[in-house]
Amino acid sequence: MKIAIFPPNSLILADLVERKGHEPLVLQKEIRKKVTDPEIDSPPFNITEEEPIKGLKYAAIEVPSGIRGRMAIFGPLIEAAEAAIIMEDAPFGFGCIGCARTNELCMYFLRKQGIPVLELHYPETREETMEVVNQINAFLDGLEAKDDPKGGD
Amino acid sequence: MVKIAQISCGTDYSGVQKEIEKAAATFGAEIIIPEADLDYINEAYQKFGFNAASSSIRLMIARAMSLVEGKSDADAVFIATCFRCAEGALVRNEIRRFIQQNTNLPVVTYSFTERTKADELFIRMEALSTIVVRKSILAREKQEGLTLGIDSGSTTTKVALMENDRVIGTGWVPTTDVIACSQDAMDQAFADTGYKIDDVDGVGVTGYGRLTIGKHMNAQLIQEELSVNAKGAVYLAGHQKGEATVLDIGGMDNKVITVNDGIPDNFTMGGICAGASGRFLEITSRRLGVDISELGPLALKGNFKDALLNSYCIVFGIQDLVTSLAAGNSKENVAAAACYSVAEQVYEQQLQEIDVREPLIQVGGTSLIDGLVEAVSTVLGGIDVIVPEYSSHIGAVGSALLVSGLGDQMK
Amino acid sequence: MSEEDKVTRMIILGPAAQVSQSQVVGELHMLELPLTIKSTCYGAVVHGKEEDVLTAIREIRKLDPANIFTKDRGFPPGDPRRCRAKRGGAREGFHQLEKEFELLGFVGEALEWPEPVEIKKHGKISPEDFKKIAEECEK
Repeated sequence: MKIAIFPPNSLILADLVERKGHEPLVLQKEIRKKVTDPEIDSPPFNITEEEPIKGLKYAAIEVPSGIRGRMAIFGPLIEAAEAAIIMEDAPFGFGCIGCARTNELCMYFLRKQGIPVLELHYPETREETMEVVNQINAFLDGLEAKDDPKGGD
Repeated sequence: MVKIAQISCGTDYSGVQKEIEKAAATFGAEIIIPEADLDYINEAYQKFGFNAASSSIRLMIARAMSLVEGKSDADAVFIATCFRCAEGALVRNEIRRFIQQNTNLPVVTYSFTERTKADELFIRMEALSTIVVRKSILAREKQEGLTLGIDSGSTTTKVALMENDRVIGTGWVPTTDVIACSQDAMDQAFADTGYKIDDVDGVGVTGYGRLTIGKHMNAQLIQEELSVNAKGAVYLAGHQKGEATVLDIGGMDNKVITVNDGIPDNFTMGGICAGASGRFLEITSRRLGVDISELGPLALKGNFKDALLNSYCIVFGIQDLVTSLAAGNSKENVAAAACYSVAEQVYEQQLQEIDVREPLIQVGGTSLIDGLVEAVSTVLGGIDVIVPEYSSHIGAVGSALLVSGLGDQMK
Repeated sequence: MSEEDKVTRMIILGPAAQVSQSQVVGELHMLELPLTIKSTCYGAVVHGKEEDVLTAIREIRKLDPANIFTKDRGFPPGDPRRCRAKRGGAREGFHQLEKEFELLGFVGEALEWPEPVEIKKHGKISPEDFKKIAEECEK
């Protein structure tokens, strides 16, 4: 399944999803499409004024351009998601996920997609981390079961 | 090469990063990013004390701290955030203040949209670059020899001829053809002085048409109007030391420049709205059937409160004035209301973007409308507003002053 | 093959990894896949055709499954647009990697000794409940 993760560039989330044979919808893939496009030369990301305009699909014109530009990259990932893992209060994240308002909007859109969503908080301790990893694995295992309701053959 | 430290949030995602770098490169500057590692980011923003929700804004704070604490090296600072982002606007202004209070670096701030293009950034980058490269020229406090300054503005062309720290001739003509108008204005300035163009030691030019006229005249100084006007204003106001704010309500755009010891350290330029410009007052005087020079004294006799305008727009605002006149209001009240309306808009659109420091030196053609000067003071809570002699020739005087410094260097 | 079809993966060694960075890089070279392989402070970065990169990842994980992690990277290795050497200031993604790295030891532990858990609800429906409802609707 295609699993959206938030933060969308999290090493831990993407790695765990991939280990279970799912496809993590990571931000870097979207960025890669942009930066390797030989048609555009707008360093660093090849984002031009077109992206904030495309972002109007997700947020109105009164919303700052940086949010709309980011949404033009996140939006397709959210729309492709068949399930999602959201980790709130992640203490890191600059650049793409450096804008608090964009992050709120992304998490909101993921929640209203009508897909299974696992909500977590960023772990601080050993126990919390282990709990989070087990939660993620249990969630991912549960998805497989739903995917294959007849129990597989 | 001038190193401009960029401290920003959202430029990459608004598609304007390339424009920023292009503008910097045009004026021989390069953009650098101040160093800040993860531990430093946390330490810096906690020390600064602004608990921003967005981590990229915390990163801005850390980058500012890195400059202030000397962990990164730069010649100037460009601070930018997305237009309409409240958190961005708050932090942009606070780190600007922080850097200015703790370093000698010139700072420029800006809020952008996806439509921001390099041209809009040019004047800012040029001014930043100038302040760094020509600091010695900007430090000049006296005009020497015989020099000519030309300010080729969008609406009018102004010329000032200066000799031994005094203005000895001025010219003023509406701008049509840049070169022909400059010639006419020069003729006015030279009249009765006994001098001709061949006698001058140096020519300095500024304003929209500076490149055209500068090339034509083979000028020694071709300079954007921000640093020139700032210098001209503090020179004419006799306020070359300490802090001041220069306000120029122009025919097409408005400039607000903050100055410290004669060096501009921040400015806002704005105005795509005619209602916040001198043009509004020009149309008002036409409607009132008076010359623009009579509008000021007329306004001083009126009370703006008796003829309130409901619209700031040049179209609807003028309609309001007509309605007010039809309702029996006096020309004086209407003139006062028009002045107040322009002042209020300049306040709302621009003065709020900048840390206004007293005294405010009002310059440009509109500074001759004393009703407007009074309105500006009222809107700002009654602060001290200085209108120096030759205030409408500020750019020309500034150019003549600065080129005299350059002439010395060349000799 | 154009650059557009190539992908970049970072290989990150957790703090409890039993293999060294040079072992990982050596192993990657031994696979003899047409890849660009670079040794980095966090492990290695591989760049090439997606298929080859994924094969390399699969193989390299086998060295120490619970302590080798991987992450996609948008920019190709050494891209000047985001290269620290060129413009000062680390890539934004680097700080995040730094922070997540702090937890990798615990993540590795959890992967080695998994424990069954109940999925905590945060006011949202769990996949199990979702499944039950779906099954009931089918009846």
